[in-house]
Amino acid sequence: MQFQKGQKVKVARKSRDEAWEPYMDDFIGLHGFVTDPDTSINDPDALIEVSLEEKGTHRLPQDCLEQIV
Amino acid sequence: MATQTCPVRNTIIYLSDLTESGALTDPRERRICEQILNLVEEISEGAAGNGHLSAIDALMEEYLDGKGSKKTRVNGDRLKEMLSENREVFESHIATRNCPSHDCGKLAPSPCQMACPAGIDIPTYLTLIARGEDAKAIEVIRRDNPFPWVCGLICTRPCEMMCVRARIDTPVSIKFLKAFAAERAMSEGAYHNPEKKPFNGKKVCVIGAGPGGLTAAYYLALMGYKVRVIEALPVSGGMMMIGIPRYRLPREVIDREVAMIEDLGVEISYNTRFGTDITYEDLKAEGFEAFFIAIGAHKAMDLGIKGEKEFPKALEAIRFLKDVALGNHHAPGKQVVVIGGGNVAIDAARTSLRLGAGKVTIAYRRSEDQMPADIEEVEQAMEEGIEFSFLTIPKEILGSEGRITGLDCIKAELIQKEGSDRLVPVPVLGGDFILEADAVISAIGQYVDDKGMEAFDRMNWSRRGTIEVSHASMETAMPGVFAAGDAVSGPATVIEAIGGGKRAAEAIDRYFNHIPQPRMPKIPVRHHREPPVEMTAARKMTLKRPSMPMLNVDRRRTTFQQVELGYDEESVRKEAARCLRCDICRRCGKCIEICRDKMGIDALQLGYLEFDHSTETDFRTTEKKCITCGACAANCENKAIVLEEKEGRRNLKLCGTLLNSQAILYCENCRAVLPSAEYLEFIAQKTGDMVKRTQHRLLCDNCRRSLNAKINVETRPSDPK
Repeated sequence: MQFQKGQKVKVARKSRDEAWEPYMDDFIGLHGFVTDPDTSINDPDALIEVSLEEKGTHRLPQDCLEQIV
Repeated sequence: MATQTCPVRNTIIYLSDLTESGALTDPRERRICEQILNLVEEISEGAAGNGHLSAIDALMEEYLDGKGSKKTRVNGDRLKEMLSENREVFESHIATRNCPSHDCGKLAPSPCQMACPAGIDIPTYLTLIARGEDAKAIEVIRRDNPFPWVCGLICTRPCEMMCVRARIDTPVSIKFLKAFAAERAMSEGAYHNPEKKPFNGKKVCVIGAGPGGLTAAYYLALMGYKVRVIEALPVSGGMMMIGIPRYRLPREVIDREVAMIEDLGVEISYNTRFGTDITYEDLKAEGFEAFFIAIGAHKAMDLGIKGEKEFPKALEAIRFLKDVALGNHHAPGKQVVVIGGGNVAIDAARTSLRLGAGKVTIAYRRSEDQMPADIEEVEQAMEEGIEFSFLTIPKEILGSEGRITGLDCIKAELIQKEGSDRLVPVPVLGGDFILEADAVISAIGQYVDDKGMEAFDRMNWSRRGTIEVSHASMETAMPGVFAAGDAVSGPATVIEAIGGGKRAAEAIDRYFNHIPQPRMPKIPVRHHREPPVEMTAARKMTLKRPSMPMLNVDRRRTTFQQVELGYDEESVRKEAARCLRCDICRRCGKCIEICRDKMGIDALQLGYLEFDHSTETDFRTTEKKCITCGACAANCENKAIVLEEKEGRRNLKLCGTLLNSQAILYCENCRAVLPSAEYLEFIAQKTGDMVKRTQHRLLCDNCRRSLNAKINVETRPSDPK
């Protein structure tokens, strides 16, 4: 999945990435928008910035996210 | 203080009143109260960990150690009582991260404030800007971000992405309103630093004078720390200065805001590379006890193609932009090819054009819709005449005798690989072609240069080559060493670096005061509730986001003048007033439920309240059905919707927007205030015959009752007996 700015996403699952911190477990199930995708090389491994409803803006691994249509 | 209010919330109110009223004249007492307030706020927000209550106990002990005045003891005893009497409630907030009475959400931040990585109180400053109070707006912004002017011009604005107004029409133009207020306040000499605390005897070293480093320096200086910033470059601003071209962010804007930080006593050592010109040991010997690393991500990734290292005109975008920012204004070539599809590629291409390159082409290996650069940046580049070669994979930089003649490329097609939903560019057989060029600029990403960081030997690095931290505190694994910005996130945004710098400053202060760090990033703080701007429903609905005036294209192709010219004052004030004040209305939807389901009236068409399935909103429709019964207002916990009686009219307002206004009626018998005619009619329909005989008259309940009683007696049929 390649994420783009403004896409609506859901934190679908816990990431296996080392960047996942315990407090991020609270985000599972939340919806939000991609506010800053990887703007240099479209790297699927890059952390991307997501703004979650009522939980603020965080940089998350892409494997925890799903696009909401 | 109301007894039914949550004790945690009560404690916050008590401590906020104490610290903000100026009653705490003893600096020690003030410091302890502020520290306790911080911890209680985190308990209230559900961000507290196991060490919070014991840290509060320790602070209370220090507070009541007998060194304070009689007044200090009185305040302390009251506070101790509040904490000990309600210890179970505090423990339950920490354990469940929930406030059973919901009082702890009363000053909950709006979605835009939550979305801002620096946590700026956006609704408050927009309201101030709408009223023309620009200097006050800047004061509010600088509580969370010392760079309002910079961010007003170049922020990636996650706030606008979450703006609730976008569910009605378009998001409020939050970013530029900030720039306007900063420029106006600066121009009027009203852009001031807050008063800083006296020197506390502690010294902090910040490595890197970029947005993260300078933000941390600013807040640490305000807290009373002596801060020295080590900067390898001859200028401050980091990527703001050397990565963002001047047509987006004029140098003077950065210089003015950095100067404000220096005015607080922050010392910046330029041309000083950490690890080479000055070492960790040198700084330790000078008394620096905490370090904040904000070195950015300045190292360019290699293309890995032939010819990349052979030609002087095979440039790295980040190096090229830096040289231009530092004064080298020579065109890289006549025919420039920029490799990459991100914002840095666009910046390098547009900068080349402004320096006099005749033809600039961006070569990108995927398709246009997959370009990671901001859509606005791509559009502006196209307007200026930048050409794009999509689905183009570079193979080799061609040339001879040190001069580039072209870029050998191969056409690509996007193929979906098995087991992946991601399209991958694959070379097309026989698709070779040459892009003519005398300069090639590579812009395919940056990474953190860890040279000189060896001294921080207990700090961990991620597999991405970034510094590992706890994001709640920006604390590394090495005690006393903190980090933020691109060095932690990889190449990211200015506002994220600012947010990280602010969090790190708070964490450094906690580190010095032995206060536990929060479990998760702190929820943004609202300090007070600014009254909303009042206007009619029609005006609220019809105000439109203004379009941004732009510099003409010829000027854009030849100079570094700012491309976005900014709104005029009238547009700014109107645009700020478009804000829905989501800090007041928390979109719980109770008003709609009451009006539609309980009263059966359905006068509130507020489709924007829903995040996922928003429907149409029209504030103007309320007056057609509303009977001003006040049921919505009575059930609004946050008083976002209010029913007020003023100058002979009964007004229903939602965050300042007048939804309905009806003339107040009076009892024709005793002159008591009556509900609206529509409401009386509604009641008459519900009560049927009970009031039938008097319903054509305007009477209060008492008069109606006595008149009905009289009529009943007079008309009572005589006893059949």
